[in-house]
Amino acid sequence: MKLLVILVNRLAWLIPTVFGLMAITFAITHIIPADPVAAVIGENASPEQVAALKEKLGLDKPLVEQFVIYLTGLLRGDFGISLYTQRPISEDLFARVPATIELSVVTLFVAIAAGIPVGVISAVHRNSLLDHALRIFTVSGLAIASFWLAILFQLFFSMYLGWTPLQGRVDGWGPDPITGFFIVDALIIGDFEMLGDVLAHMVLPVLTMAYPAMATIVRFTRAGVLEAISSNFVMYESAMGFPRRVIIWKYVLRSALIGTVTQIGLIFGILIANSVVVETVFDWPGIGRYAVDSILNSDYNGVMGFAVFTGVIFILINALVDILHGLIDPRETR
Amino acid sequence: MFTIYSLKHTQVAKPSDTNREYEMMKDDVMRLRAQANRVATGCLRAGRALVLGLVMLGSATGTALADRAVIAIGNAFDNLDPHQVFDVGRVASRLNLYDGLLRWEDNPPVLEPWLAESYEISEDGKTYTFTLREGAIFHDGTPITAEDVAWSMDRILGINKGAASLFVDVIEPGSTRALDARTVQFNLSKPSAIFLATVPEIHVVNMDLVKEHIVDDDWGQAWLSGHEAGSGSYALKRYDPAIGFQGERFAEHFIPWGEKYLDEVEFRYVMELNSRILGLIAGDFQVTDAYMPYDQIKRLEESGTVDINEQESMRIFYGVIHNNRAPMNDINFRKAINYAFDYDSFINDINSGSVARDPLPMPGNIWGAPSDVEGYSYDIEKAKEYMAKVEEPVRELTIGTITGYSTTEEAAALLQAGLAELGVPSKIVSDPFTVLNARSMDEQNTYDIYFTWKSTYYADPHNWVGELYSSSTIGSRNNSYYSNPDVDKLLDRALISTSMEERRGLYEDAARMVVDDAAGLFIYNTKWFGPTSKDLKGQRFSPIGNGLEARWMYRE
Repeated sequence: MKLLVILVNRLAWLIPTVFGLMAITFAITHIIPADPVAAVIGENASPEQVAALKEKLGLDKPLVEQFVIYLTGLLRGDFGISLYTQRPISEDLFARVPATIELSVVTLFVAIAAGIPVGVISAVHRNSLLDHALRIFTVSGLAIASFWLAILFQLFFSMYLGWTPLQGRVDGWGPDPITGFFIVDALIIGDFEMLGDVLAHMVLPVLTMAYPAMATIVRFTRAGVLEAISSNFVMYESAMGFPRRVIIWKYVLRSALIGTVTQIGLIFGILIANSVVVETVFDWPGIGRYAVDSILNSDYNGVMGFAVFTGVIFILINALVDILHGLIDPRETR
Repeated sequence: MFTIYSLKHTQVAKPSDTNREYEMMKDDVMRLRAQANRVATGCLRAGRALVLGLVMLGSATGTALADRAVIAIGNAFDNLDPHQVFDVGRVASRLNLYDGLLRWEDNPPVLEPWLAESYEISEDGKTYTFTLREGAIFHDGTPITAEDVAWSMDRILGINKGAASLFVDVIEPGSTRALDARTVQFNLSKPSAIFLATVPEIHVVNMDLVKEHIVDDDWGQAWLSGHEAGSGSYALKRYDPAIGFQGERFAEHFIPWGEKYLDEVEFRYVMELNSRILGLIAGDFQVTDAYMPYDQIKRLEESGTVDINEQESMRIFYGVIHNNRAPMNDINFRKAINYAFDYDSFINDINSGSVARDPLPMPGNIWGAPSDVEGYSYDIEKAKEYMAKVEEPVRELTIGTITGYSTTEEAAALLQAGLAELGVPSKIVSDPFTVLNARSMDEQNTYDIYFTWKSTYYADPHNWVGELYSSSTIGSRNNSYYSNPDVDKLLDRALISTSMEERRGLYEDAARMVVDDAAGLFIYNTKWFGPTSKDLKGQRFSPIGNGLEARWMYRE
């Protein structure tokens, strides 16, 4: 029952949060003294042409009126028309969302699969040489800029070793979209050559994004395990003669994961936002690169579409994390 | 019941349950081992899949067709409609998927018959009559008619974006007429000497096909932004605005194909310059766009896998000086600025000699550019002499640059150093292009000086000195707010004269006067470096098409 209350509470907060997000993004994008119309219409356009297009797009109206018009459209599921591409934002966004989600999910999977065991090992060998080495590794993961790491990976793995593709989501154009998720689509059509190609193209962007994500997971898992290890139940289980491996990997880990799960939820949202950098370097045709294009072209509607989409995803994931908390730790729902 | 989920449960456990606990512990160990085995097997499978993927990648990249090329461009092909976009960055879709009546080819650019086999100009310079080639067809097999051309002209004016700015002042909507299936007549409202030079921008669309997709009187814009209705050398095969477009050779194109060609061409949007360069070196791409810092050109050259095809282009880099704001409204101050810029250091040191000094408000290699103008040189003493004549009090100047374009930032820093020697304080403001563009159109809010380029939209001196320094374009293309009635007279006459020789003299005189007035800070003309993979041949460079017309390319 409490789970349901948490869920309803979270969803109820969704509306004011998204509204606030939209208001702030709208204000920021429109206050900048850029002129998207001049960019769209070309540098040879006359002031009359610019004014005519502004009027047509409603950009000559007061800012508040423009915001109301935008909100009204959004309630109908209309994200508006891209000022730059002249296509519906929803069409542009949804064509790119699968690429970003696929990259983020695989990254998260890799970060969890590597981060949790490393965090546990780090905690179990607290203050050992291994722990210190892992600490340096994880702090580096948090400190290194993604774009720099991405270029370094490209130079080493693609250009020097020749092991991985340099960029792109696939060689050529990929499978005809069914779901838009290339891994799934390749499996559906049974094209394993394509599947291999898709996986190979994911290696470097996933590594780039997974490294800082994994570092966060390691830090939180380590802290959680250290706290749990000093609990009475662990002392009891040790006294009962339970093998240390079982205590650590089953009982301690479960208790320690509560904080980590919160972070994993946040990380997924951050991964989608971070895709802006990684997608640009790796030429990954997702919403991150679309956001960069929209910002550079002062495409107000494009920026708003990206902000609303990522904001909603972030909020929904946080709601999901609350539910997972309840499932992992029954005390949360009592 | 004994379960270990939390501290609370462990506290209620009783020692008498030891045997049961031991049995449960054994079960746990067994389950854990089984789980560990499953995880290990899964990891192995995943690893194998990854290795398999990498191996397959090698085989996949090895299957690249010899008659196919991938061209990486730093601009997104996010709109394929030839009448909505007119920027140089997206020229490839217009050149390869569509045709105009005439086409600019080579360098210096020559206006060649294309869809039109001939044309006539009336004596008053107001009527242009074109005869279309016989047998020319669109990609769907329907014939290209004069009606398609006339409707395309009306569509450009109706949409009022892109290249419309070239025509709105001289062509009325509905005035273009199809005299018969192969003859189309443009009736200008006033003579325009540059009309012919702009005709290549009238890209002909398949009228019937586009009309089928018109929604709410939108001239089919929504549909044509993601589809194609042309007759170009390549027909659209696949399009994804996030990736680019793929074209398939149109064998029935009205210009006969040579012996060697590309059957398929892919224009891919690769935003990062570094990614384009690495991709070209690695062989992922065969061509990339050519305007990049010289150190990157050297990097490509040294790779051993790339050919560089150097040519002087027609794309000037200059400082836009606000001529209508104190103290820049004083010619002495503008001359002081011109003498305070270290041209040699900028061209030879910062740009490693990769650009050509150009002291004119137009490329030095186009007709109409006076050859006797030496322009200004770096001479602080002369600059100080002119500064001494300035009556307005000196104030801090704002120098604008384009964010992400290091050339503009380097030029600004160099000018700032020169101004400092004159005792003129200045600050550098870096704005994204859209912001800079918007500010430059606002006389009150624009910078005192900003640096930018002017590309070739049509190969006529008017594209530069006419657009940039005529009073009639103040606030749109004339962002210097420069106004000189004598220059206007020359430019106005040049715009209606039908004599090439007369026009040449008029533009030469206008350019001299603009330089004498120190109306701008004219620095260099760009060189085009055209990097291609060593096996790609046949690339033809024209400043209008940037060497991106794929029909001449082939692979050896």
